[in-house]
Amino acid sequence: MKFIINREEILTPLQQIVSVIEKRQTMPILSNVLIVIEDDQLILTGTDLEIQIIAKIDIKLATPGSITVPARKFLDICRLLPNGAEIKFEQHDDKVKILSNRSRFSLSCLPADNYPEFSESELENHFFINAGKLKKALDKTVFCMANQDVRYYLNGLLLNISNSKIKLVASDGHRLSIYEDSLDQGTGYEARIIFPRKAVLELSRLLDDADAELKIEFSSNNIRIFIKNLIFSAKLVDSKYPDFGKVFQQEFFNPIHIQKLVLKDALTRVAILSNEKFKGVTLDITPDSLRISTHNPEHDEAEEELIIEYAGEPLSIAFNAQYLLDAVANLDSELAVLTIASNSSSCFIDEPTECVYKFIVMPMRL
Amino acid sequence: MTQEHHRKIIHIDMDAFFAAVEQRDCPAYRNRPIIVGGSPDARGVVATCSYEARRYGIHSAMPSARAYQLCPDAIFIKPRFDAYKEASVQIRKIFADYSELVEPLSLDEAYLDVSNASVLQGSATLIAKAVKEKIKQDVGLIASAGVSYNKFLAKLASDMDKPDGFYLITPQQGPEFAEKLSVSKFHGIGKVTAGKMQALGIKTGKDLRRLSLLSLQQHFGKSAAHYYHICRGIDHRPVNGNRTTKSVGVETTFQQDITSRQEILGYLQELLEKALQRAADKQLVAYTLTVKIKYHNFIQITRSRTLPYMITKADELLEELIKNTDIGKSSVRLLGITLSSLENKQTGIRFQQTDLFRDY
Repeated sequence: MKFIINREEILTPLQQIVSVIEKRQTMPILSNVLIVIEDDQLILTGTDLEIQIIAKIDIKLATPGSITVPARKFLDICRLLPNGAEIKFEQHDDKVKILSNRSRFSLSCLPADNYPEFSESELENHFFINAGKLKKALDKTVFCMANQDVRYYLNGLLLNISNSKIKLVASDGHRLSIYEDSLDQGTGYEARIIFPRKAVLELSRLLDDADAELKIEFSSNNIRIFIKNLIFSAKLVDSKYPDFGKVFQQEFFNPIHIQKLVLKDALTRVAILSNEKFKGVTLDITPDSLRISTHNPEHDEAEEELIIEYAGEPLSIAFNAQYLLDAVANLDSELAVLTIASNSSSCFIDEPTECVYKFIVMPMRL
Repeated sequence: MTQEHHRKIIHIDMDAFFAAVEQRDCPAYRNRPIIVGGSPDARGVVATCSYEARRYGIHSAMPSARAYQLCPDAIFIKPRFDAYKEASVQIRKIFADYSELVEPLSLDEAYLDVSNASVLQGSATLIAKAVKEKIKQDVGLIASAGVSYNKFLAKLASDMDKPDGFYLITPQQGPEFAEKLSVSKFHGIGKVTAGKMQALGIKTGKDLRRLSLLSLQQHFGKSAAHYYHICRGIDHRPVNGNRTTKSVGVETTFQQDITSRQEILGYLQELLEKALQRAADKQLVAYTLTVKIKYHNFIQITRSRTLPYMITKADELLEELIKNTDIGKSSVRLLGITLSSLENKQTGIRFQQTDLFRDY
């Protein structure tokens, strides 16, 4: 096998692939990238057995073949060669020579035959979505995913397709984010799948071209996403997502409108003196004021008062300040709208005009 | 901060504490080799043994079966922790009469900072002797006392003249004392570090003094500064009067190794409940759970998880923690549970985060 490629053509796909390859591997070949030349295409593959990324690059100067080489070393060589460098790649038995101008490298490699197959079931469903739209949907939800929760289904993202409606939900139990939008075409089916955390984060990094049109194929176990010259595949979480619908079926107090930046600054300042672990702050809401206060075990105290208009009963409720800040930071509007359930069991945060996402923060019990 | 040579620190260490309590409470045990700890026919170890037993070469942490081989006539006694605790409380009350700054290290050991004491002309020697005498009178037990100008030397001093000892290391003697000492006796130098030092030709404090701080750092990293100081008789650690509990741990060694996953989970659950009870007794709640597993071949592993909510009966968490272990395949001789990231219960409850999918 032999090929010549420009550094700029191979660098980005290689970086995208190496990012899914785990640093510590049980199988040595998994730290390698599979390189295949066939039909005038250079095909690069990397996997951690849960996620797989395949990149296809058109290539002229090549002789067919396949081999696996240590991914990180290969990436570092390509990365550190000068801009625009011509890279010559030649296989000699169990070695690969990489030549560029006056640089010469020889890498040990492993045969492609031993590279593990990424097992996929038949992918019966598919839909199309614009990369920009999916990226926004992910941005508005991923921050609420759990990390290493024993409730493993929370360490992921719920994707719900209902004909032409798409819904994404993420929650660590303490807060929840929900994104609802329409697809350009109806799908004619209803499906719910859970995308595991690592796959969501990896996918999000691949969506930098907002104009790209994506084809997404999935079954209950696997998903495959075509992103321009990339094919991203992932195994799905085999579980049912917990029911979160109840939180919407409650009575609510009147909404409170606050300047987003004013709220953010006040919360950040008060949080300085909150308990380091729990970050608890109390919100005392009256018709003309929102008082945010806290104290910590060292008996330090902080208080901020914001002027608001609120047409409901006075109420007092406590939250983890970080959760409120995360939600507020993810609003696109200047105004934040806080709507608290009448039994003080949850707080909704969204924008003053109809928007495609909503954040819910659960309070701390006082 | 007080100058190093201005401090007056006493280290009090009870002599063969558990065994001494037993001999005090049961005249038949007096002048006889007493071993408090696990039974020799199970897999117990010696917790404490009387000085009569020490003559046979028995020491704490030795397997009871080995102790039995060394001295078949020894009397093996199961620990009575309530009795030891009661004695410990009495002793601590005595400490409090002489110093406001007391740092208990365990049931039978404590540091007293008497730098600012006014009783007995503020003399650390007189106070140490008075404390020893009072313990003998009121509690009926023998203690050894070490007096010096820092914790490191005070602790070494209490060990110099055991049992019923008293030893003083003055600021003038401190550096020379540390020089002559074998590094294995230094605070913070365990078997591994001592071995590493041995390999570098460092046997005594004097050898250690020859190394610059920089070269110590190259070999020993973070601990270098501490070693650099203590081999010169310098130790700035304050006597900490309100040491907070950092973790609560319980463990058990099985008489026979166990393999069944279900059985192991059952034991872990029991240990967890015990640990939670101990934490609750101290008004604490925990956020980190660590499982310790020692396999039949003495290979030991730990698995740990910190939760965003307080740990309760976390049975599903236990299952999760033992997922990537050899449990079920390899038999186990010891299981342990440690709770850490402890918080005051009131604070924990005050900031109880509600959860969408969990009912409290």
